[in-house]
Parts: sequence; structure tokens; C-alpha cells
Amino acid sequence: MDRQRTTDDIVLEPDPVIEAYKKDVDRTLLRENLKLTPQQRLEKLVAFMRALEQLRGAASKRR
Amino acid sequence: MTADILAFVRVLADAGVEYVVVGGVAANIHGALRTTVDLDIAYSRSSANITRLAKALAPYEPYLRGAPPGLPFRWDEATIQRGLNFTLTMTLGDLDLLGEVTGGGRYEDLIGRAEPIEIEGRRCWVVTLPTLIVLKRAAGRSKDHEAIAELEALLEERDRR
Repeated sequence: MDRQRTTDDIVLEPDPVIEAYKKDVDRTLLRENLKLTPQQRLEKLVAFMRALEQLRGAASKRR
Repeated sequence: MTADILAFVRVLADAGVEYVVVGGVAANIHGALRTTVDLDIAYSRSSANITRLAKALAPYEPYLRGAPPGLPFRWDEATIQRGLNFTLTMTLGDLDLLGEVTGGGRYEDLIGRAEPIEIEGRRCWVVTLPTLIVLKRAAGRSKDHEAIAELEALLEERDRR
């Protein structure tokens, strides 16, 4: 749990609660996402949210 | 309503609006996987910018999110001048317009903590990843714990590259 000094001079003191949550983060997915450009990441988010909306719409019609 | 984030970026950039992207979309731009339905931006409260903002968003029928229909809400410069933070819904989706951000201050404070990123062929200012973590921590919401953990892991992964 080291103190993290960032590139823009912000010092992030470790928070034990956050450290506990950090253990569950799937870093393989983060690494894959970091290979994309910011534009590609946003396009992925928009496409995902649109698909989710369509699914929700379809589910509510069935009810 | 899910925000058409790319359309928002085009509209705001083409109108010359001064703003910084914060919140979930900023996290996503930096590589986070968490989804978000709205776009949060900190905007400059200068008169000229408020004029640009009012004009740029007017065609998309901004209205107060969650408010009952029929309220006498007018989207114009005077309304923006009188208010500070607005949670809006419009035909492009949901937009949070922040005159001040908890733990981050105003646009003028945040622009020095932002980096230019190219989106839709336009320059878009986004708070840096460490600043985003500071903002999320300052918000102090228990629901943000997982999001902060992801952002901090992201920062570690990015620094490792």
C-alpha cells in the first residue's frame, strides 16, 4: 500500500477501503482497454449503452 | 436517457464552448470499463461562454431532469446565469452541467488539471486520471468505492506501460 505520486503532482494517500476493492478489479480488461484510443473507448461505451437500451426496451415490451 | 456523448462533443466543440469533461465519461476516456448514462462537464461561467452554451444546446430542448413536465423552465443565458449546476435531459441525452465540482472547484481550477484529447476530430479537454480520482474521493459516496478502485488500478497499469 504505497503512497502513489502521480505525473501531475497529486499525491494519492492509500485508502484501505479502496485497496480492498482494488483486489477485485479485473486488470486484464483494463489492459485491453488501454490499447484502444480514447475515441475507440467512447465508441465502445456508446455502442454498449445503445445495445443495453434496446434490450431493456425489448424486455419491457414483453412484460 | 443515455447520452449521445459523441454528438455532445461535436456540438460543444463546434460552438466553441469552454468546458472540461469530468465524471464517468472522463473515466471511460482514460480506460475505465464502468458504464455511464450521462455526460458531466464543468463549464466556464464567463458571460461569453454562457452565451455560447445557451445557444449551442437550445436546439436539443434542455429540461430539468426528473422535474414534472410543464414547469416554467426556460433554457437561456439568464437561467444559466442565475443557476450554477444543472442536471438536464435533452434530445441528445442526459447532461450534467457543473459550474462547480465538489473537490475540484470551477472550470478555471480544473482546466489546469485537464489534458487535451482528440474526439470526433475535435480537441476535447478531459480531467487527468489522478484529478478524476481526487474528485471521486472528494465526493465521498460509498457507491464510488468500486469506481475509485478501478481508476487507481488503471493509473497503476498506465504507469507500468
